[in-house]
Amino acid sequence: MKARKVKKLDPAGPLAENAAWIVRTRVGELLDLAEVALDQGEVEAQHDLRIAAKRLRYVLELTGFCFGRPADTALGRARDLQEILGEMHDCDVMLPRVRDHVASLQHADAEAVRSLAGPSADLDPRLAIEAPNRPDYHGLEVLAVHLAARRRLMFDRFAAFWARQEELGTWIRLERAAEAQLERARQTRRAAKAARLAERHADDVEAAIEGVEPEPR
Amino acid sequence: MARPKPIMGLTPELSYGETAARAVETRGGELLGHATGVLDTHDIERVHDMRVASRRLRAALEVFEPCFPPKAHKRAIRDLKALADGLGERRDRDVAIAALEKFSARMPAPGRPGIDGMVERLRTEQSDANEDLAPLVSDERLVSLADQLGKLVVAARKPSRG
Repeated sequence: MKARKVKKLDPAGPLAENAAWIVRTRVGELLDLAEVALDQGEVEAQHDLRIAAKRLRYVLELTGFCFGRPADTALGRARDLQEILGEMHDCDVMLPRVRDHVASLQHADAEAVRSLAGPSADLDPRLAIEAPNRPDYHGLEVLAVHLAARRRLMFDRFAAFWARQEELGTWIRLERAAEAQLERARQTRRAAKAARLAERHADDVEAAIEGVEPEPR
Repeated sequence: MARPKPIMGLTPELSYGETAARAVETRGGELLGHATGVLDTHDIERVHDMRVASRRLRAALEVFEPCFPPKAHKRAIRDLKALADGLGERRDRDVAIAALEKFSARMPAPGRPGIDGMVERLRTEQSDANEDLAPLVSDERLVSLADQLGKLVVAARKPSRG
């Protein structure tokens, strides 16, 4: 998943303002993806949400100190979220791998049992009991059930975790802290502009008193 | 998971460009510091730590993207991604093997052969992944990456870029 582009970044500007733009974008990304990912069948959105949580986490590791306590909390929760979604993802990766392994064993067994039949006109069902990989199937079936059930359990944990963070306002508080940082930056710019205008005005007044032309700007 | 090294001297007022330079210096050093013994399959934490360090460095390169010259940035991301992919392939097998061994240990004996057979298959894949990883963590590749990162740090500090 491509990260959303962050606009208005300025290498010469202060870290806090730039970080606020990035954090605001990353939180927005997280919130939008979660809406879809809370549907159990939306595996891709859950995967994307894990990536979004990771992005937010790493931004906060670098710049969280600009946003105070809401960032400390959000950093911890982004890490937790990434972990729960990571457990789900591990099940999603492992389950097809188990099925693929079972399929390859079955393929080899079919070949072996076919050889046992020799030139017979049909296959005696009892020959299938001789399949060399037969002892392996039970454990692999149990594993597949375990993975599917664990995935569901992790999804339930994710849904409960997300609801709890919404109750606590974890993400919204971080978003507000970023907004506050942007507002401070706007105020600083306004104050600097006002100071520049005041300085010019003072120069003009001084020039008028002395009866000289003000310096061109 | 290894905690990130603190980046010294950061303040909210410091320029975004200077922060970028310090972040890439620190995270780059962290990555290279984790390269020792990474091909040792008996200690899977080494690959894990280096992989996490590669993600943190990549995150720093992405967070501070506007502070770097686009071409050099793109090239560093590309090389770093190749390294991260190689580490990821190894790590993927390491994690799967550890999970299956844990699962097998808790299974009654009749269920174990199938799981153990799958672990064997994964060990072969782990060994293949390790062979693919070896050139990506060679001294030559890491020196080249360090050189690229050094140039990005210098560029981020140039006044025109902050």
